[in-house]
Amino acid sequence: MSDTDPERTDGGTEVGSEVVAGGHEDDHDHGHDFPGTGSIKRWFVTTNHKDVGILYIVTSLFFLVLGGVLAWLMRIQLWAPRAPGETILAPVAYNQAVSAHGLLMVFWFLSPFAFGFANYIVPLQLGAKDLAFPRLNALSYWLYLFSGILFGVSFFQGGTFSGGWTMYAPLNVPTFTPDVGASTAVLALVLFVASVTVSSVNFLTTMHRMRAEGLTLRNMPLFSWTILLTVWMMLFAFAALLAALMVLSADRLLGTTYFAMESPAGALLWTHLFWFFGHPEVYIVFFPALGVMAEVFQTFTGRRIVGRKWFIIAMVLVAIQSFVVWMHHMFLTSINLQVKTLFMITTIGISLPFDLMVFALIYTMLKGKIRFTTPFLFVFGALLLFIIGGITGVFLGAVVLDYEFRGTYWVVAHFHYVMVGGVTALVGGLYYWFPKITGRMYDEFLGKVHFAAYFVGFNLLYFPLFVAWETPRRVFDYAPELAPWHQLATIGGFVLGLSFLIMFYNLFKSAFTGDPVSDNPWEYATTAEWAVSSPPPLENFEGTPTYRDGHLSFILDRESDVTGGATAADGSGGATAGGGVATSPHTAVTTEYEPTVEATEVEGPSHASIWPFVLSLGAFLILLGISPLQDAAFPEGMMGAAYATTAVAGFGVTLGSLIAMGLEPFHGPVFDEGEAWPFSGIDNGKVGMWIFLASDVVLFGGFLGAYIFTRFAFGWTGWQPVPDDPIPGLVNTYILLTSSFTVVLALVAAEKKHKLGLVTSLGATFVLGIGFLVNKALEWQHLFHEGLWLSTNVRTSTFFLTTGLHAAHVIAGLIIALYLTARAWRGAYLEDNRSVEYFGLYWHFVDIVWLFLFPLFYIL
Amino acid sequence: MVSTKFYTAIYVVLFVSATVQVLVEFAGLAYWTAFGIIMVLSAAKAVLVAAYFQHLRWEPRSLTYLVGIGLVAALALTVAASYSLL
Amino acid sequence: MGTTLVGSSPLFLQSGLVPRGSRIIVFESIFEVFLLLGTLVGVVVIGYMLYNAYKYRSGATKGDEEVGDRPVLGELPTGSGGGRKLATSFFMSMIIVVSLISWTYLTLLYVEEGPSADNSLDIEAEGYQFGWRFTYPNGHTTDGVLRIPAEQPVRLQVTSADVFHNFGIPELRVKTDAIPGQETETWFVANETGTYTAQCYELCGAGHSYMSAEVIVMPPDEYEEWYESTGNGSSESVSTENQTAFVEARPA
Ligand code: HEM
Ligand SMILES: [Cu+2]
Ligand SMILES: [Cu+2]
Repeated sequence: MSDTDPERTDGGTEVGSEVVAGGHEDDHDHGHDFPGTGSIKRWFVTTNHKDVGILYIVTSLFFLVLGGVLAWLMRIQLWAPRAPGETILAPVAYNQAVSAHGLLMVFWFLSPFAFGFANYIVPLQLGAKDLAFPRLNALSYWLYLFSGILFGVSFFQGGTFSGGWTMYAPLNVPTFTPDVGASTAVLALVLFVASVTVSSVNFLTTMHRMRAEGLTLRNMPLFSWTILLTVWMMLFAFAALLAALMVLSADRLLGTTYFAMESPAGALLWTHLFWFFGHPEVYIVFFPALGVMAEVFQTFTGRRIVGRKWFIIAMVLVAIQSFVVWMHHMFLTSINLQVKTLFMITTIGISLPFDLMVFALIYTMLKGKIRFTTPFLFVFGALLLFIIGGITGVFLGAVVLDYEFRGTYWVVAHFHYVMVGGVTALVGGLYYWFPKITGRMYDEFLGKVHFAAYFVGFNLLYFPLFVAWETPRRVFDYAPELAPWHQLATIGGFVLGLSFLIMFYNLFKSAFTGDPVSDNPWEYATTAEWAVSSPPPLENFEGTPTYRDGHLSFILDRESDVTGGATAADGSGGATAGGGVATSPHTAVTTEYEPTVEATEVEGPSHASIWPFVLSLGAFLILLGISPLQDAAFPEGMMGAAYATTAVAGFGVTLGSLIAMGLEPFHGPVFDEGEAWPFSGIDNGKVGMWIFLASDVVLFGGFLGAYIFTRFAFGWTGWQPVPDDPIPGLVNTYILLTSSFTVVLALVAAEKKHKLGLVTSLGATFVLGIGFLVNKALEWQHLFHEGLWLSTNVRTSTFFLTTGLHAAHVIAGLIIALYLTARAWRGAYLEDNRSVEYFGLYWHFVDIVWLFLFPLFYIL
Repeated sequence: MVSTKFYTAIYVVLFVSATVQVLVEFAGLAYWTAFGIIMVLSAAKAVLVAAYFQHLRWEPRSLTYLVGIGLVAALALTVAASYSLL
Repeated sequence: MGTTLVGSSPLFLQSGLVPRGSRIIVFESIFEVFLLLGTLVGVVVIGYMLYNAYKYRSGATKGDEEVGDRPVLGELPTGSGGGRKLATSFFMSMIIVVSLISWTYLTLLYVEEGPSADNSLDIEAEGYQFGWRFTYPNGHTTDGVLRIPAEQPVRLQVTSADVFHNFGIPELRVKTDAIPGQETETWFVANETGTYTAQCYELCGAGHSYMSAEVIVMPPDEYEEWYESTGNGSSESVSTENQTAFVEARPA
């Protein structure tokens, strides 16, 4: 199965380009050096959102197979209760399988699968030619792929992480899980989070800034809505996870003691950080599925959704509330009754909007003209499964019941109904958009067979688990009388897994030999992706899409008025007849847009860059290289040297590719600002920077929160600052404030086109930053001499790690400052000083963080 | 926008208030009083940097809210988690 | 039993509407109601869904003529009517869920309050990789076995010596986290004598599947006799068969 996946990529799209009449794709290459879809090279350099979407989908399916095989291993072990010595998988191997299965399915399969569709479909639905930052989009993908590979490597380093996907402390520290592979798995997650963060920034900028005229948020299709809310949740939730993972990595690699057994409330600290991320994550994986359900329901019932406005309001409420329910995963810990009550209330609160969404979907069927195609069957099945998952979830919201269900198969059954219910909808989405992506129709009969096997397998697998709920979770020695239920489940697991073979066969074959499809093979589809050819041209639209007149139409640009106009009329001819998409060559408007058109022709958006791939490779090497660290030291001997070399090489590759990326001439998509609430009039780059900084606020917030929580548990006033002298800290405050000031001066100089001023100010910033680091190094040196080290106690751990993270931000800033200074020296930034401005935003942020670190770690 | 002179004034204010923070610590006030003053000063400095150096004052308010949301999320986590220990 | 446990509860707690008594009774009665209602709601909703899917299947309805206005490609998305029905069902489901949870909240208060100190037995439980230790008020410790008298409420203070564990006796419906550096409290009462099993409910390492302890519920007088025979600092250790076997099977 797995080895056919790569071929499907090539195969599928090769056919794609062949199908497109007249080869749209190649025509629109704007003469750039961009290989066709048949070439392997294309897939390494592409930055096009549709290509990236395909890469995501194929890769995620590969991880589905991997996670599925692990699930099978577990189900085989669970065929009968296993006494000691009679296990098939050794106990630790079983724990590894549980953990890796959970992590792979949630992180490396479910979300990326959904984001494959998001990548492919959302820009089309918005009327954008690509995402705001195409290279960053490719970077997200490659970081994701390499994080998955890194996770794979962890299996071969003495065994991967075995502490469950929730990674509870202190089992997650090397005292209890000493394998190098366990560290590697954590680092793989760090890399994955990097991918998610880049992707969130990109999607948020795109979705807020690049909507077609008339496509206000209120008018956005529901699938795009769910993705928008998902990325908002991702931005903040994954930042909290990143904080948790970085602290955990430090505990594992550098020897800090946040989560150590002896740390005051270290175990609780992890549960807070993890679940603060973990609950939003539940909706992060489910929302895209909900969006697919909404779209497919509307198309195949031929009805617009009932209560659309309320549906959207309900989702927004859920997205916000998802950040205030996390402690419902901690009802059995030592949290107090008031907090339990509060979180019980918020938990019921968040369940209610889902009732509304479910009813809205059901009522949409009324008076419909329902066609039971494969996509609809899957989505309909998903709704049914979600209802069961939802009802069984209410049981868990009743705290008294949760007290007993906690840690049992009730939970396992419940979350599989919800999450794999979501997968069911996404599989529906795969069938739904398959003809759009490949230009060919899948085999309907095989699709239906797949659904039947899938649905039967699913319920055979998970329903018995409700009956056998008394089985403790992550345990393979259970009460013998429950064995029949587990055997049913195991059989169901195989049915479910094998049903995917039907799908792989069907889609693989259809990608080559299916019937070619028109733009819109589904009657009653409304969204814009169906108004362009299947597959869509490289830059998505002939002309500029607009909803100015209350429906989709395209404003043709001057160039294509003659030739392209005909193509567009051709291409959407059917659609015009069936659905009223008109190509409207308003002459007046055309003139209005001329300047942009000209600009486009001169530069032409770029579609290829190898650097995202190389950069991700570099990051992969760094993390692989540092994975065997313990107490900040490499292991002795050859092995250690090899790892260290890998890390150093990784740094080289990363730095080199960053610089290459900075120097590479790359032009993002050209667009005229349509709807851009609430960021209209602000440059994409600036919006992206601020969104990134907002996530960085949460990252530092997580670190500071961890510090405050730990200190609180320790006894606030009994905790002395680590440096006994605040003066070095004060000096560093002065230095940073001054460097912020010089950055301001740099921008002022750039605005005045004053080259010397610009270079001097930037240079001064760089020098001040170096001063900051030197001063810090001296201070640390002093502390080390006093015998204070990261691992000395939790006080020193928080001090070194939090200020260390800040110092890392300073170093990153200095690299950029150096780069900017060098380029300014050669005359850059006088015409376009945005780079200086955005760097300033970052640098001031680093300054602001220090304004809090200084009092909290030096004087209070 | 604004003159270099204005930026300089802001810079001086920041510089001075950082000094005041340390002086407050050495002034021998009650711990929580000193804590309050010092944190308020930090917050004030942060607002100054964000408002003028990052020129949020002259940007659409949405950018300020964006960062505010992140701040609220982090605070919610910290406060609720610490409170749950009581 | 319940009335003796909570003397000072407000009247509504005593009215019989709010389950109280042993934790078995509390759990079973609430679970039953939830199962019943859950099944009912599930069957009604899913039934309604299936019925309508069938009724409005393409080609079978006159729906087409009734609603001439089908979605067209390129339109700006809007919703269909039917808001009133949606609101009604939403409020109905809200009432069901909110009242169910509020009802269980009263029981939660009862469970959280626990038995009074004077008529209950206080025992400390400590989890470790991979077993349970218990300390009695007189300092006697046992390992792998918890002896308690029938009919007397037991209050447990639970903690851990190493990683995060979770102590649960499924038959007696008691469960709480065992967290290093923290202490959690819970209580239960066993009305039937016999031997039960305590089990770990949080993944804690290689021996997690086998991390159990015996819970021996004795007739009160026998218990008294046994307890008299123990003294400060005495200890007793019983490993369950599985545990021993596991420890032996474990590679060093
Ligand atoms: C496709 C989407 C799936 C997702 C997102 C998913 C997710 C998860 C997660 C998060 C866990 C918890 C891991 C942990 O406790 O650390 C888990 C456990 C488990 N899953 Fe899945 N899973 C999926 C599919 C499957 C399938 C197809 C099977 C069976 C063939 C399966 C069988 C299991 C089993 C046996 C466990 C262990 C339960 C336990 O002992 O706690 N899962 N899954
Ligand atoms: Cu949750
Ligand atoms: Cu355990």
